Amino acid sequence: MSHVVAERTNALNKGAGPLSYIRRGGALVSLLPLIPFLAFIGYFLAFPLAFIVRDSFLDNDKHFTLHNFALCFQGVYGHSFLVSVRLSVISAFIGAVAGAFIAHSIMRTGQRTRRAVAATSSVLANTGGVPLAFMFIASFGAQGLVTKLLKFLGWDLYGGSFTLFSAAGVTFVYCFFQIPLMVLIFSPALENMKPEWREASDSLGGTPFTYFRRIAIPVLFPAFLSTSLLLFANAFSAYATARAMTSGTLPLMPLLIGNLVDGNVIANEKHLGHALAVCMIGVSVIVMTIYALVLRYSKVKK
Amino acid sequence: MKRRLSAGNYLVLLCAFAFFVVPMIAAIEFSLRGDQGTTHGLSNYRWILAQEGFGANLFTSARLAAITAILVLLLMVPTIVYLHLGGARWKRIIEFICLVPLVVPVISYAMGVATAMPIFLQSTVYELSFLYVIVTMPYTYRALDVGLSSIPLLTLVEASKSAGATMRQTLVLVVMPSIRSAINGAIFLSVALALGEFTLAVLLHWDTFPTWINNVAQSNVLGAVSLSVFSLVGAWLVVLVVAVGPKSKHSDQNQEA
Repeated sequence: MSHVVAERTNALNKGAGPLSYIRRGGALVSLLPLIPFLAFIGYFLAFPLAFIVRDSFLDNDKHFTLHNFALCFQGVYGHSFLVSVRLSVISAFIGAVAGAFIAHSIMRTGQRTRRAVAATSSVLANTGGVPLAFMFIASFGAQGLVTKLLKFLGWDLYGGSFTLFSAAGVTFVYCFFQIPLMVLIFSPALENMKPEWREASDSLGGTPFTYFRRIAIPVLFPAFLSTSLLLFANAFSAYATARAMTSGTLPLMPLLIGNLVDGNVIANEKHLGHALAVCMIGVSVIVMTIYALVLRYSKVKK
Repeated sequence: MKRRLSAGNYLVLLCAFAFFVVPMIAAIEFSLRGDQGTTHGLSNYRWILAQEGFGANLFTSARLAAITAILVLLLMVPTIVYLHLGGARWKRIIEFICLVPLVVPVISYAMGVATAMPIFLQSTVYELSFLYVIVTMPYTYRALDVGLSSIPLLTLVEASKSAGATMRQTLVLVVMPSIRSAINGAIFLSVALALGEFTLAVLLHWDTFPTWINNVAQSNVLGAVSLSVFSLVGAWLVVLVVAVGPKSKHSDQNQEA
């Protein structure tokens, strides 16, 4: 490895272009201008993360233990883990399917409409959080206009067991930022579909269904799958909306961790919160790794 | 390229329109309700402006946004310019590092910051700006990287250097103006995040505009809804005007970022 680096350094030094003054001196010297950046990352990102990873393996007397992680999958924490995963899967699935259809339909409208939709999507996908929660409380709450409208049409939203503050309600609200995110990320993939493919399929006697099954699905599947994984990770780590809607009462992983950060530490399990936070990172790392692999696989195939 | 929309397309778009616009309209209607729910007016909006903390917290968030944007520029622009010149061999590693905040859930990051950071940092609200720089890094890196890739950077730097400019002059007078739209994009992203961020602010016990909305909701839901409509519809209108307005080239850059 060091051999390769040395060789490259030599090659760079020999080709003494106008900027060779920057390249002189080998790998370590070329790292010098990056020091501010690396110091910033090291202190504000790597240090806190390393700290909680270390603490998650400690018991109250600072001895090594795996007990914290065992607790993560038991009782209320195990339950919240399942609820979180289920909520994320469902909202990612709904978001991905609905978003794909919407993105497909928008493709055929004019440029101005497309741009307006893209702008709207980016606002909804990114600035959701607290305002989003209150908007839904306003429109779907017991006194909301939508509730009243549905009641007028003969559907009493609150006749059954539905409330906006349950897992189902939160899933529904999450769709409000999941679908725009899907539209935002999936549209470029759709734009890469060449009209010639459709024409070729048609002239070879293919029906629209043939085109869909033999061309559209195989070409778009990697993008669809990878975006779905992004949506999953997005819902899994979402905190603001759920907290504002339920004031932290719903058993969701982020909300439980939030309660622990807030200071409601259980005295005899000081590092449980750290273990939960590390578990969240673990799930996210797994999902994002699959995401990266899917993307790489789809690139190789092209 | 424009094809005709089929009935199915219209149906999908109609459903999407209903799903996204009806709650907004309903929320606007809700925010305009009077005391007893019988009259409509701007009383809730007047109530917001009369609340103590409205101006102060909005100002806190604005200051955090400004500091975040400045920090992003100071840290990221020289670093990424260097990665495009002499430090190209580190580019892939730095690129990877910049994606890490995307993988770490903000809630876990908040946990780490709350336990690891020393008291002197945790006793000032400006710590949030430093954290926001980290959280926006995946997006600001991409915006600036795309911008720098689209200009003949090496030629510009060489020309500037042969004309006798120092590295700092080159950066400020030559490179930064030529990637202005990418820099605008990065500023836009970091300001948008800093103004709307809730998780880190609330878990580290700071009062910013979004956490204040959440506190207001405890005493007055109507007020909180009005505030939400105000901030969401406000942000939407601003972005819509930027995107669909005449300066389309600039807005494409933003959307891509």
